[in-house]
Amino acid sequence: MRKKELKLIVTFHTTADAMAMEKACKERGVPGRLIPVPRVISAGCGLSWCAETAEKENIKAMMQSVGIQEEDMHECMV
Amino acid sequence: MNLSDSKVKLGIAGAVCGIVAAVLAVMGNPGNMAICIACFIRDTAGALGMHQAAVVQYARPEIIGIVLGAFIISVVTKEYRSTAGSSPMIRFVLGMMIMIGSLLFLGCPLRMVIRMSAGDLNAYVALVGFVLGIATGIAALKRGFSLGRSHETNKMNGAVLPVLMIGILVLALMGSALLISSESGPGSMHAPLIIALIGGLVFGAFAQKSRMCFAGSIRDIILMKNFDLFVVIAGLFVVMLVYNIATGNFAFSFTGKPVAHAQHLWNILGMYIVGFAATLAGGCPLRQLVLAGQGSSDAAVTVAGLFVGAALCHNLKLASAAAAPATAEAEAVIGGPSIQGKIAAVICIVVLFVIAFGGNKRSTK
Repeated sequence: MRKKELKLIVTFHTTADAMAMEKACKERGVPGRLIPVPRVISAGCGLSWCAETAEKENIKAMMQSVGIQEEDMHECMV
Repeated sequence: MNLSDSKVKLGIAGAVCGIVAAVLAVMGNPGNMAICIACFIRDTAGALGMHQAAVVQYARPEIIGIVLGAFIISVVTKEYRSTAGSSPMIRFVLGMMIMIGSLLFLGCPLRMVIRMSAGDLNAYVALVGFVLGIATGIAALKRGFSLGRSHETNKMNGAVLPVLMIGILVLALMGSALLISSESGPGSMHAPLIIALIGGLVFGAFAQKSRMCFAGSIRDIILMKNFDLFVVIAGLFVVMLVYNIATGNFAFSFTGKPVAHAQHLWNILGMYIVGFAATLAGGCPLRQLVLAGQGSSDAAVTVAGLFVGAALCHNLKLASAAAAPATAEAEAVIGGPSIQGKIAAVICIVVLFVIAFGGNKRSTK
Protein backbone atom coordinates (compact mmCIF):
# COMPACT_ATOMS: atom_id res chain seq x y z
CA MET A 1 0.00 0.00 0.00
CA ARG A 2 1.22 3.52 -0.80
CA LYS A 3 2.69 5.30 2.20
CA LYS A 4 0.73 8.38 3.33
CA GLU A 5 2.49 11.73 3.23
CA LEU A 6 1.73 15.16 4.64
CA LYS A 7 0.08 17.19 1.86
CA LEU A 8 -1.52 20.55 1.35
CA ILE A 9 -5.27 20.14 0.75
CA VAL A 10 -7.25 23.06 -0.65
CA THR A 11 -11.03 22.72 -0.36
CA PHE A 12 -13.55 24.77 -2.33
CA HIS A 13 -17.09 26.07 -1.97
CA THR A 14 -18.15 24.57 -5.30
CA THR A 15 -17.09 21.82 -7.66
CA ALA A 16 -16.71 24.50 -10.33
CA ASP A 17 -14.05 26.26 -8.24
CA ALA A 18 -12.14 22.98 -7.94
CA MET A 19 -12.33 22.46 -11.70
CA ALA A 20 -11.16 26.05 -12.29
CA MET A 21 -8.26 25.37 -9.92
CA GLU A 22 -7.20 22.31 -11.90
CA LYS A 23 -7.32 24.28 -15.13
CA ALA A 24 -5.40 27.24 -13.69
CA CYS A 25 -2.72 25.01 -12.17
CA LYS A 26 -2.25 23.07 -15.40
CA GLU A 27 -1.95 26.27 -17.43
CA ARG A 28 0.64 27.70 -15.04
CA GLY A 29 2.56 24.47 -14.45
CA VAL A 30 1.73 24.43 -10.73
CA PRO A 31 2.11 20.83 -9.54
CA GLY A 32 -0.73 18.99 -7.79
CA ARG A 33 -3.89 17.05 -8.57
CA LEU A 34 -7.61 16.87 -7.90
CA ILE A 35 -8.64 14.34 -5.27
CA PRO A 36 -11.87 13.68 -3.37
CA VAL A 37 -11.90 15.70 -0.14
CA PRO A 38 -10.12 13.52 2.45
CA ARG A 39 -12.60 12.16 4.98
CA VAL A 40 -10.76 13.68 7.95
CA ILE A 41 -11.57 17.17 6.65
CA SER A 42 -15.19 17.20 5.63
CA ALA A 43 -18.24 15.08 4.98
CA GLY A 44 -18.95 16.72 1.65
CA CYS A 45 -18.59 14.70 -1.53
CA GLY A 46 -16.64 17.49 -3.20
CA LEU A 47 -13.27 17.73 -4.78
CA SER A 48 -10.08 19.19 -3.39
CA TRP A 49 -6.66 20.16 -4.70
CA CYS A 50 -3.76 18.15 -3.32
CA ALA A 51 -0.22 19.56 -3.51
CA GLU A 52 3.08 19.60 -1.67
CA THR A 53 2.96 21.62 1.54
CA ALA A 54 5.92 23.69 0.32
CA GLU A 55 3.70 25.01 -2.50
CA LYS A 56 1.29 26.75 -0.10
CA GLU A 57 2.38 30.35 -0.65
CA ASN A 58 2.84 29.82 -4.37
CA ILE A 59 -0.68 28.37 -4.64
CA LYS A 60 -2.19 31.13 -2.50
CA ALA A 61 -0.68 33.78 -4.74
CA MET A 62 -1.82 32.02 -7.91
CA MET A 63 -5.38 31.61 -6.59
CA GLN A 64 -5.54 35.28 -5.73
CA SER A 65 -4.31 36.28 -9.16
CA VAL A 66 -6.89 34.18 -11.03
CA GLY A 67 -9.77 34.86 -8.61
CA ILE A 68 -10.34 31.42 -7.10
CA GLN A 69 -11.47 31.49 -3.49
CA GLU A 70 -10.67 28.54 -1.27
CA GLU A 71 -13.04 27.28 1.40
CA ASP A 72 -10.06 26.32 3.53
CA MET A 73 -6.48 25.07 3.39
CA HIS A 74 -5.38 22.07 5.42
CA GLU A 75 -2.26 20.05 5.92
CA CYS A 76 -3.06 16.40 6.42
CA MET A 77 -1.83 12.89 5.69
CA VAL A 78 -3.02 11.69 2.30
CA MET B 1 -14.27 4.50 13.18
CA ASN B 2 -13.01 6.25 10.09
CA LEU B 3 -14.65 4.33 7.28
CA SER B 4 -12.77 5.91 4.44
CA ASP B 5 -9.12 5.68 5.37
CA SER B 6 -8.74 2.48 3.38
CA LYS B 7 -10.47 0.87 0.43
CA VAL B 8 -11.07 -2.27 2.48
CA LYS B 9 -13.10 -0.33 5.04
CA LEU B 10 -15.03 1.40 2.26
CA GLY B 11 -15.78 -1.99 0.74
CA ILE B 12 -16.98 -3.23 4.13
CA ALA B 13 -19.27 -0.20 4.49
CA GLY B 14 -20.78 -1.01 1.09
CA ALA B 15 -21.10 -4.67 2.08
CA VAL B 16 -22.99 -3.70 5.26
CA CYS B 17 -25.44 -1.73 3.10
CA GLY B 18 -25.69 -4.77 0.83
CA ILE B 19 -26.52 -6.97 3.82
CA VAL B 20 -29.24 -4.49 4.85
CA ALA B 21 -30.67 -4.66 1.31
CA ALA B 22 -30.58 -8.48 1.32
CA VAL B 23 -32.29 -8.67 4.73
CA LEU B 24 -35.01 -6.29 3.57
CA ALA B 25 -35.51 -8.37 0.43
CA VAL B 26 -35.84 -11.53 2.54
CA MET B 27 -38.22 -9.79 4.92
CA GLY B 28 -40.68 -8.88 2.19
CA ASN B 29 -39.62 -5.91 0.09
CA PRO B 30 -40.48 -6.22 -3.63
CA GLY B 31 -38.37 -8.32 -6.00
CA ASN B 32 -35.03 -6.83 -7.06
CA MET B 33 -36.08 -3.66 -5.26
CA ALA B 34 -34.91 -4.29 -1.69
CA ILE B 35 -34.14 -0.63 -1.03
CA CYS B 36 -34.76 1.59 -4.08
CA ILE B 37 -34.70 5.27 -3.21
CA ALA B 38 -36.81 6.44 -6.17
CA CYS B 39 -39.39 3.68 -5.77
CA PHE B 40 -39.65 4.18 -2.02
CA ILE B 41 -39.98 7.97 -2.25
CA ARG B 42 -42.68 7.37 -4.89
CA ASP B 43 -44.43 4.93 -2.52
CA THR B 44 -44.18 7.43 0.35
CA ALA B 45 -45.56 10.21 -1.87
CA GLY B 46 -48.45 7.84 -2.61
CA ALA B 47 -48.99 7.13 1.09
CA LEU B 48 -49.32 10.87 1.65
CA GLY B 49 -51.94 11.08 -1.11
CA MET B 50 -49.71 13.04 -3.47
CA HIS B 51 -50.67 10.55 -6.20
CA GLN B 52 -53.39 7.92 -6.41
CA ALA B 53 -51.64 4.96 -8.07
CA ALA B 54 -53.19 2.31 -5.84
CA VAL B 55 -50.39 -0.26 -6.16
CA VAL B 56 -47.53 2.01 -5.09
CA GLN B 57 -48.63 3.69 -1.87
CA TYR B 58 -46.81 2.94 1.36
CA ALA B 59 -44.83 5.10 3.79
CA ARG B 60 -41.46 3.39 3.47
CA PRO B 61 -39.62 3.40 6.81
CA GLU B 62 -36.37 2.92 4.88
CA ILE B 63 -36.53 6.49 3.51
CA ILE B 64 -37.27 7.85 6.99
CA GLY B 65 -34.46 5.72 8.41
CA ILE B 66 -31.87 6.83 5.86
CA VAL B 67 -32.51 10.52 6.55
CA LEU B 68 -32.58 10.00 10.33
CA GLY B 69 -29.58 7.65 10.26
CA ALA B 70 -27.52 10.26 8.41
CA PHE B 71 -28.85 12.98 10.73
CA ILE B 72 -28.00 11.12 13.94
CA ILE B 73 -24.54 9.97 12.85
CA SER B 74 -23.62 13.43 11.58
CA VAL B 75 -24.73 15.07 14.84
CA VAL B 76 -22.84 12.50 16.91
CA THR B 77 -19.66 12.85 14.84
CA LYS B 78 -20.03 16.65 14.62
CA GLU B 79 -20.40 16.64 10.84
CA TYR B 80 -23.87 18.15 10.92
CA ARG B 81 -23.80 21.52 9.14
CA SER B 82 -26.92 23.48 8.36
CA THR B 83 -26.34 24.97 4.92
CA ALA B 84 -28.51 26.41 2.15
CA GLY B 85 -28.65 28.84 -0.72
CA SER B 86 -27.23 27.06 -3.77
CA SER B 87 -29.84 27.64 -6.50
CA PRO B 88 -32.67 25.89 -4.63
CA MET B 89 -35.29 26.02 -7.40
CA ILE B 90 -32.92 24.62 -9.99
CA ARG B 91 -32.17 21.81 -7.54
CA PHE B 92 -35.92 21.27 -7.09
CA VAL B 93 -36.30 20.86 -10.85
CA LEU B 94 -33.25 18.56 -10.97
CA GLY B 95 -34.91 16.43 -8.27
CA MET B 96 -38.09 16.22 -10.32
CA MET B 97 -36.13 15.16 -13.41
CA ILE B 98 -34.13 12.57 -11.47
CA MET B 99 -37.44 11.01 -10.46
CA ILE B 100 -38.90 11.19 -13.98
CA GLY B 101 -35.77 9.49 -15.38
CA SER B 102 -35.80 6.88 -12.62
CA LEU B 103 -39.43 5.96 -13.19
CA LEU B 104 -38.83 5.77 -16.93
CA PHE B 105 -36.24 3.07 -16.23
CA LEU B 106 -38.06 1.80 -13.11
CA GLY B 107 -35.43 2.36 -10.47
CA CYS B 108 -32.84 4.74 -9.12
CA PRO B 109 -29.10 4.04 -9.51
CA LEU B 110 -29.20 1.95 -6.32
CA ARG B 111 -31.91 -0.27 -7.75
CA MET B 112 -30.02 -0.38 -11.05
CA VAL B 113 -27.10 -1.98 -9.20
CA ILE B 114 -29.44 -4.31 -7.29
CA ARG B 115 -31.06 -5.34 -10.59
CA MET B 116 -27.61 -5.88 -12.10
CA SER B 117 -26.74 -8.16 -9.19
CA ALA B 118 -29.73 -10.33 -10.11
CA GLY B 119 -28.66 -10.55 -13.76
CA ASP B 120 -31.27 -8.13 -15.12
CA LEU B 121 -29.66 -7.22 -18.45
CA ASN B 122 -31.93 -4.19 -18.81
CA ALA B 123 -30.06 -2.65 -15.88
CA TYR B 124 -26.75 -3.21 -17.69
CA VAL B 125 -28.20 -1.43 -20.73
CA ALA B 126 -29.36 1.40 -18.47
CA LEU B 127 -25.87 1.66 -16.97
CA VAL B 128 -24.64 2.80 -20.38
CA GLY B 129 -27.08 5.70 -20.26
CA PHE B 130 -26.16 6.47 -16.64
CA VAL B 131 -22.44 6.71 -17.47
CA LEU B 132 -23.15 8.85 -20.54
CA GLY B 133 -25.33 11.15 -18.44
CA ILE B 134 -22.58 11.57 -15.85
CA ALA B 135 -20.04 12.21 -18.62
CA THR B 136 -22.31 14.95 -20.01
CA GLY B 137 -22.59 16.45 -16.54
CA ILE B 138 -18.81 16.41 -16.21
CA ALA B 139 -18.49 18.18 -19.56
CA ALA B 140 -20.71 20.91 -18.12
CA LEU B 141 -18.61 21.07 -14.94
CA LYS B 142 -15.49 21.45 -17.04
CA ARG B 143 -17.10 24.37 -18.86
CA GLY B 144 -17.66 26.13 -15.55
CA PHE B 145 -21.17 24.95 -14.62
CA SER B 146 -22.04 25.87 -11.06
CA LEU B 147 -25.16 26.24 -8.96
CA GLY B 148 -23.28 28.62 -6.68
CA ARG B 149 -22.07 28.08 -3.17
CA SER B 150 -24.18 27.33 -0.13
CA HIS B 151 -23.93 29.24 3.13
CA GLU B 152 -24.27 28.35 6.78
CA THR B 153 -27.79 28.90 8.06
CA ASN B 154 -29.64 28.67 11.34
CA LYS B 155 -29.14 25.14 12.70
CA MET B 156 -32.87 24.50 12.84
CA ASN B 157 -33.17 25.01 9.08
CA GLY B 158 -31.15 21.89 8.30
CA ALA B 159 -33.23 19.80 10.69
CA VAL B 160 -36.55 20.44 8.93
CA LEU B 161 -36.51 17.36 6.67
CA PRO B 162 -35.48 14.98 9.49
CA VAL B 163 -38.33 16.41 11.61
CA LEU B 164 -40.83 15.97 8.75
CA MET B 165 -39.62 12.37 8.45
CA ILE B 166 -40.23 11.87 12.18
CA GLY B 167 -43.76 13.16 11.59
CA ILE B 168 -44.40 10.48 8.95
CA LEU B 169 -42.80 7.88 11.24
CA VAL B 170 -45.13 8.79 14.12
CA LEU B 171 -48.15 8.39 11.83
CA ALA B 172 -46.81 5.03 10.63
CA LEU B 173 -46.08 3.78 14.17
CA MET B 174 -49.61 4.81 15.25
CA GLY B 175 -51.02 2.88 12.32
CA SER B 176 -52.79 6.07 11.29
CA ALA B 177 -55.42 5.72 8.57
CA LEU B 178 -54.16 9.05 7.22
CA LEU B 179 -51.37 7.16 5.49
CA ILE B 180 -52.59 5.23 2.47
CA SER B 181 -51.31 1.65 2.12
CA SER B 182 -51.54 -0.41 -1.06
CA GLU B 183 -53.48 -3.64 -0.78
CA SER B 184 -51.83 -5.20 -3.84
CA GLY B 185 -48.80 -4.63 -6.05
CA PRO B 186 -45.30 -3.50 -5.01
CA GLY B 187 -46.66 -1.09 -2.39
CA SER B 188 -48.21 -4.00 -0.50
CA MET B 189 -44.88 -5.84 -0.31
CA HIS B 190 -42.79 -4.65 2.57
CA ALA B 191 -40.60 -5.73 5.43
CA PRO B 192 -42.03 -5.24 8.95
CA LEU B 193 -41.97 -1.56 9.93
CA ILE B 194 -39.38 -1.80 12.73
CA ILE B 195 -36.99 -3.94 10.66
CA ALA B 196 -37.33 -1.59 7.68
CA LEU B 197 -36.71 1.40 9.96
CA ILE B 198 -33.62 -0.17 11.54
CA GLY B 199 -32.41 -1.17 8.06
CA GLY B 200 -32.83 2.42 6.88
CA LEU B 201 -31.04 3.83 9.93
CA VAL B 202 -28.06 1.50 9.42
CA PHE B 203 -28.01 2.15 5.68
CA GLY B 204 -28.17 5.92 6.22
CA ALA B 205 -25.42 5.91 8.82
CA PHE B 206 -23.05 3.81 6.72
CA ALA B 207 -23.88 5.75 3.57
CA GLN B 208 -23.07 8.98 5.43
CA LYS B 209 -19.79 7.72 6.79
CA SER B 210 -18.66 6.21 3.49
CA ARG B 211 -20.18 9.00 1.31
CA MET B 212 -21.82 6.33 -0.81
CA CYS B 213 -22.96 7.88 -4.08
CA PHE B 214 -23.69 6.07 -7.30
CA ALA B 215 -23.27 9.09 -9.57
CA GLY B 216 -20.29 10.32 -7.55
CA SER B 217 -18.49 7.00 -7.87
CA ILE B 218 -18.51 7.15 -11.66
CA ARG B 219 -17.83 10.90 -11.66
CA ASP B 220 -14.71 10.36 -9.56
CA ILE B 221 -13.46 7.61 -11.86
CA ILE B 222 -13.91 9.73 -15.00
CA LEU B 223 -12.65 12.94 -13.42
CA MET B 224 -9.84 11.76 -11.15
CA LYS B 225 -9.39 8.04 -11.79
CA ASN B 226 -10.30 7.66 -8.14
CA PHE B 227 -12.04 4.41 -7.17
CA ASP B 228 -12.84 5.11 -3.48
CA LEU B 229 -16.58 5.59 -3.96
CA PHE B 230 -16.72 2.81 -6.55
CA VAL B 231 -15.39 0.36 -3.94
CA VAL B 232 -18.40 1.15 -1.72
CA ILE B 233 -20.78 0.30 -4.56
CA ALA B 234 -18.76 -2.81 -5.40
CA GLY B 235 -19.14 -4.00 -1.78
CA LEU B 236 -22.92 -3.65 -2.01
CA PHE B 237 -23.02 -5.31 -5.44
CA VAL B 238 -20.99 -8.34 -4.34
CA VAL B 239 -23.19 -8.99 -1.29
CA MET B 240 -26.36 -8.73 -3.37
CA LEU B 241 -24.82 -10.95 -6.06
CA VAL B 242 -24.03 -13.64 -3.47
CA TYR B 243 -27.55 -13.28 -2.05
CA ASN B 244 -29.15 -13.61 -5.48
CA ILE B 245 -27.03 -16.63 -6.44
CA ALA B 246 -27.69 -18.29 -3.08
CA THR B 247 -31.44 -17.82 -3.38
CA GLY B 248 -31.61 -18.87 -7.03
CA ASN B 249 -32.66 -15.39 -8.10
CA PHE B 250 -29.67 -14.80 -10.37
CA ALA B 251 -30.05 -15.33 -14.12
CA PHE B 252 -28.92 -13.15 -17.01
CA SER B 253 -32.05 -12.17 -18.92
CA PHE B 254 -33.89 -9.24 -20.46
CA THR B 255 -37.26 -10.73 -19.60
CA GLY B 256 -39.00 -12.25 -16.61
CA LYS B 257 -37.46 -9.76 -14.20
CA PRO B 258 -39.65 -8.12 -11.54
CA VAL B 259 -40.75 -4.50 -12.10
CA ALA B 260 -38.68 -4.03 -15.26
CA HIS B 261 -39.15 -3.52 -18.98
CA ALA B 262 -36.93 -4.20 -21.98
CA GLN B 263 -37.38 -0.97 -23.96
CA HIS B 264 -33.65 -0.42 -24.37
CA LEU B 265 -33.69 3.13 -25.73
CA TRP B 266 -35.90 4.34 -22.89
CA ASN B 267 -33.91 2.48 -20.25
CA ILE B 268 -30.80 4.24 -21.57
CA LEU B 269 -32.47 7.65 -21.79
CA GLY B 270 -34.08 7.26 -18.35
CA MET B 271 -30.77 6.67 -16.65
CA TYR B 272 -29.06 9.25 -18.89
CA ILE B 273 -31.40 11.83 -17.36
CA VAL B 274 -30.66 10.52 -13.86
CA GLY B 275 -26.87 10.52 -14.36
CA PHE B 276 -26.86 13.97 -15.96
CA ALA B 277 -29.16 15.57 -13.37
CA ALA B 278 -27.45 13.86 -10.42
CA THR B 279 -24.04 15.12 -11.54
CA LEU B 280 -25.36 18.67 -11.79
CA ALA B 281 -27.07 18.32 -8.39
CA GLY B 282 -23.94 16.82 -6.81
CA GLY B 283 -25.30 13.39 -5.96
CA CYS B 284 -27.68 10.52 -6.69
CA PRO B 285 -31.05 10.20 -4.88
CA LEU B 286 -29.47 8.27 -2.01
CA ARG B 287 -26.77 10.91 -1.57
CA GLN B 288 -29.40 13.66 -1.61
CA LEU B 289 -31.25 11.94 1.27
CA VAL B 290 -28.01 11.59 3.22
CA LEU B 291 -26.87 15.17 2.58
CA ALA B 292 -30.34 16.38 3.58
CA GLY B 293 -29.97 14.36 6.80
CA GLN B 294 -26.67 16.01 7.61
CA GLY B 295 -28.10 19.51 7.28
CA SER B 296 -28.06 20.50 3.60
CA SER B 297 -31.28 22.33 2.80
CA ASP B 298 -30.20 22.35 -0.85
CA ALA B 299 -30.30 18.55 -0.81
CA ALA B 300 -33.61 18.67 1.10
CA VAL B 301 -35.06 20.83 -1.69
CA THR B 302 -33.83 18.23 -4.20
CA VAL B 303 -35.61 15.56 -2.13
CA ALA B 304 -38.77 17.71 -2.25
CA GLY B 305 -38.32 17.73 -6.03
CA LEU B 306 -38.10 13.93 -5.97
CA PHE B 307 -41.43 13.74 -4.09
CA VAL B 308 -43.19 16.15 -6.44
CA GLY B 309 -41.61 14.43 -9.45
CA ALA B 310 -42.96 11.10 -8.20
CA ALA B 311 -46.45 12.54 -7.83
CA LEU B 312 -46.28 14.03 -11.33
CA CYS B 313 -45.05 10.75 -12.78
CA HIS B 314 -48.20 8.97 -11.66
CA ASN B 315 -50.70 11.84 -11.93
CA LEU B 316 -49.58 12.60 -15.51
CA LYS B 317 -48.86 8.94 -16.31
CA LEU B 318 -45.19 9.51 -17.09
CA ALA B 319 -43.99 6.38 -15.26
CA SER B 320 -43.19 3.31 -17.33
CA ALA B 321 -45.18 0.11 -17.05
CA ALA B 322 -43.46 -3.09 -15.98
CA ALA B 323 -43.44 -6.00 -18.41
CA ALA B 324 -45.68 -8.88 -17.37
CA PRO B 325 -46.29 -12.37 -18.76
CA ALA B 326 -49.73 -13.46 -19.91
CA THR B 327 -52.08 -14.84 -17.28
CA ALA B 328 -55.47 -16.52 -17.40
CA GLU B 329 -57.10 -13.13 -16.97
CA ALA B 330 -54.79 -10.83 -18.92
CA GLU B 331 -52.60 -10.72 -21.99
CA ALA B 332 -48.84 -10.30 -21.76
CA VAL B 333 -47.61 -6.73 -21.25
CA ILE B 334 -44.47 -5.58 -23.06
CA GLY B 335 -44.03 -2.71 -20.63
CA GLY B 336 -42.11 0.51 -21.12
CA PRO B 337 -42.89 4.19 -21.17
CA SER B 338 -46.16 5.80 -22.17
CA ILE B 339 -46.18 8.46 -24.88
CA GLN B 340 -46.37 11.06 -22.10
CA GLY B 341 -43.30 9.49 -20.51
CA LYS B 342 -41.39 9.68 -23.79
CA ILE B 343 -42.30 13.34 -24.28
CA ALA B 344 -41.33 14.07 -20.67
CA ALA B 345 -37.96 12.40 -21.23
CA VAL B 346 -37.22 14.59 -24.24
CA ILE B 347 -38.27 17.71 -22.31
CA CYS B 348 -36.06 16.68 -19.38
CA ILE B 349 -33.02 16.25 -21.63
CA VAL B 350 -33.58 19.65 -23.27
CA VAL B 351 -34.03 21.31 -19.85
CA LEU B 352 -30.90 19.60 -18.53
CA PHE B 353 -28.84 20.96 -21.42
CA VAL B 354 -30.27 24.44 -20.82
CA ILE B 355 -29.41 24.26 -17.10
CA ALA B 356 -25.96 22.76 -17.75
CA PHE B 357 -24.81 24.90 -20.65
CA GLY B 358 -27.16 27.89 -20.57
CA GLY B 359 -25.36 30.26 -18.27
CA ASN B 360 -25.18 28.76 -14.79
CA LYS B 361 -21.53 29.66 -14.64
CA ARG B 362 -19.05 29.92 -11.85
CA SER B 363 -18.70 33.45 -10.51
CA THR B 364 -15.14 34.72 -10.20
CA LYS B 365 -16.02 37.49 -7.75
